[in-house]
Amino acid sequence: MTDGFVLLQAAADTTRAYGEFPLIGARAAVWIAAEVHLMFAAFVLGVPMFAVVAEAIGIFGGDARYDRLAKEFTRLLLVAYSATAIWGAVLVFFLATLYPRFWAYLTAVFGPSMWAYAALFFLESFTLYLYYYGWDRWKHARAKWAHWGLGLLLNVWGTIVMFIANSWLTYMMTPPRDITPATDPATIKLWHAIANATWMPINVHRLIANVVFGGAIVAAYASYRFLASRTDEERAHYDWMGYVGNFIAISALIVLPFAGYWLGREIYQYDQSMGITMMGGFMSWLWVIQAFLIAVLFLTGNYYLWVGMERIPGAERFRPYTKYLLLVLVLGAIVWGTPHTMIADSKELAAMGGSHHPFLGALGVMSAKNTAVNLMILTTFLSFLLYRRANTRPVVPWAKTGTQIQAAMFAIAATIVLFYGIRGYFVDAIVRIGFSVYQVLAVLSCIVFVTVIDILLGRGARSLGAIQWGRMPARSQYALFVLAVTFTWLMGLMGFARSGVRQYWHVWQVVQDTSKYAATPALGYASKMISLCVLIFLSLVAFVFWLGGLAEKSTFVAPGGREGVGGAKRVGH
Amino acid sequence: MWVTNAKVVAIVLGTLALYTLIANKIPQVQSEVPQTLTLGANVTSEQLVAAGEKVFNGIGGCTTCHGLGTRAPNLLTDEQGTGPIGARCGKREAGKSCKQYLYESLDNPTAYIVSGYQPIMPVMTRQLSPEQIWAVIAYLESQGGIVDVTGSDIPAAAAAPAASTAPGGGAAGGGGGLAGGSTDPKAIIQAAGCLACHKLDGQGQVIAPDLTHVGSRRDAESIRKKILDPTSSIAPGYEKLAGIMPKTFGAMMNASQLEALAQYLAAHK
Repeated sequence: MTDGFVLLQAAADTTRAYGEFPLIGARAAVWIAAEVHLMFAAFVLGVPMFAVVAEAIGIFGGDARYDRLAKEFTRLLLVAYSATAIWGAVLVFFLATLYPRFWAYLTAVFGPSMWAYAALFFLESFTLYLYYYGWDRWKHARAKWAHWGLGLLLNVWGTIVMFIANSWLTYMMTPPRDITPATDPATIKLWHAIANATWMPINVHRLIANVVFGGAIVAAYASYRFLASRTDEERAHYDWMGYVGNFIAISALIVLPFAGYWLGREIYQYDQSMGITMMGGFMSWLWVIQAFLIAVLFLTGNYYLWVGMERIPGAERFRPYTKYLLLVLVLGAIVWGTPHTMIADSKELAAMGGSHHPFLGALGVMSAKNTAVNLMILTTFLSFLLYRRANTRPVVPWAKTGTQIQAAMFAIAATIVLFYGIRGYFVDAIVRIGFSVYQVLAVLSCIVFVTVIDILLGRGARSLGAIQWGRMPARSQYALFVLAVTFTWLMGLMGFARSGVRQYWHVWQVVQDTSKYAATPALGYASKMISLCVLIFLSLVAFVFWLGGLAEKSTFVAPGGREGVGGAKRVGH
Repeated sequence: MWVTNAKVVAIVLGTLALYTLIANKIPQVQSEVPQTLTLGANVTSEQLVAAGEKVFNGIGGCTTCHGLGTRAPNLLTDEQGTGPIGARCGKREAGKSCKQYLYESLDNPTAYIVSGYQPIMPVMTRQLSPEQIWAVIAYLESQGGIVDVTGSDIPAAAAAPAASTAPGGGAAGGGGGLAGGSTDPKAIIQAAGCLACHKLDGQGQVIAPDLTHVGSRRDAESIRKKILDPTSSIAPGYEKLAGIMPKTFGAMMNASQLEALAQYLAAHK
């Protein structure tokens, strides 16, 4: 009788398609739960990647700073991990109670992968505990290698967990074409549903984005600790940590757009109308906002580097060039932010005097935008290069030639970018799209070869003085906060783009959203939701970091200590 | 330290406020859920044009490419000196009226690619209902031409095979009904998930009454009524389950589907 009752109860529950949430409504509740969970998840997946890299640098390079940095990263991870799990549970409960029919559909398709997800979560948790709590116990000889192996394993589990979750959301966006509304979800092969058109592009995009995000949050954490520091040693340590976090974030950000292009191409190939809706349809204004955010990231990231050069002896010789770099960045940002393909009705077209603005229309096309963003990337790389070389003078015999080759590489890359940018105006769209590949290759090649030459040039270089870690003005640290907030907000915005492009479908053209929240909101509403989610996330992050700090003793050694940052006397970066 | 905390909070809130403000200052475009368009046989040209304009600027997504002049021909103002679409559609293909040309362009967009443009347009008869298609045609004709679409065009379009899938024809219903609007009773039963509770021809669950011989105890009218209002009559022995069957199935099916399903089940004697 009891079994029968349970069965009947289950049947009754699954007949209800939608639930309601007090005050804010079901959609807003799921939106907040999903986005805050995703932000924590991105952090706890991104941080282990560079924690394990930092530990490896510590092992191979013998620099204890990196090992301590990796441990501190992991400590942040530990406290953020439970928050991730809690928000994940909240999301599942909300989905099951507010969207029960859709949730039942997803579980019918993906049930076994959800079990695997839970099992991997256990493995990931215990690997993390071993990795962190075993840090001091397994710090010598072979045990250290085994410990590093745990770090690698942590990344493997985390990546698989993310790939599984990505399959659910990408299925909602691009279900295989043979699946129709009449298809019984229980008959859909699991792998067929997982390996959908956007699964791998999202996997790669998120992997990189997680590194960017993790770096930005760590940098913000370091900047706060810097501002709160009471000793020079602390200030020096957190100044260096902030620099490393920001360096990781900006470096990964540079390659992120290329993963984004791949994802965009897959969306277009899957369903052209979906791609057009995303780039030129009701979401077209979203990309103007995105351009503004990217401009803030580039300008703030460069500003941090330029201010950072004030603590580097010898950097003053590069200071006059800063204004030119700023000019390129500002011009690039203006071009990238120029609207082009906006939804317009006949009255608006008539008011504009045509399909595009007579002057700005020419700057709003992809030829101009790709040129702008590639030049901004080159400029940022040049800023970093100047920062890197600020306190050294190469002494190798070919130093002058090497520098000239580097300059020539910059010039060639910029010329290629400009050439294809201009040529793009005179060819068909299908040819023009291919030009972006040449522009990207030119920039990436320049970055790789110039870096290699710079490393070789730096061998035995004469020091012009040690970097004065810790001697950073407070404004530079506030810039790191702006970067963290902007990265987080940008993540929320891109999440809205990816999810919103499905419009009134739970699963694109398979399961329709028939709730009262089926319409996809405008950017104004979305921006309020994103800001709210960012605020919740950052408040909780601040809280869990504070909690983590309560139980931890300082990671610094006394000034002059063997493992200390050496009273800020180091030359290297 | 409190000063530092206050500064950090101010920077975070200020940055969030700035981004939110900018996003609220730009034009606000919401993606609406397509509504079923019902046009009677006596619909006037003005009504068709008004409905078509809404579809063109809304659910049709036409403005995404048309009117901008780079992705697709400008339909509303001018295309390379040939005027708006209503003024030129009758001259595009010899022997084809404006109406014929526009319908075929929506039904088979690759048939008439205008020189200089890529074949990127989706088949609109798969995305819009016949009513919406003909309303759009009327609207396009009104752009510099004469509107000759009438209510009599719409049923003819509805009979065309490619025009059977209306937006909203997903699993959960809408204008086109369940199972993409199919009138195959088995497809409707599968899409509606009837067998999650009922048994039919040896398949399904036994939570609710077995439907294998439902025709012997209910006629088509009774079945139709039961689907539309599940609480109207309760099978003996299932009184405790009253209210479990969703009341939404009637709204999820179109009239043809409801009729096909009722007749199919009534035949199960």
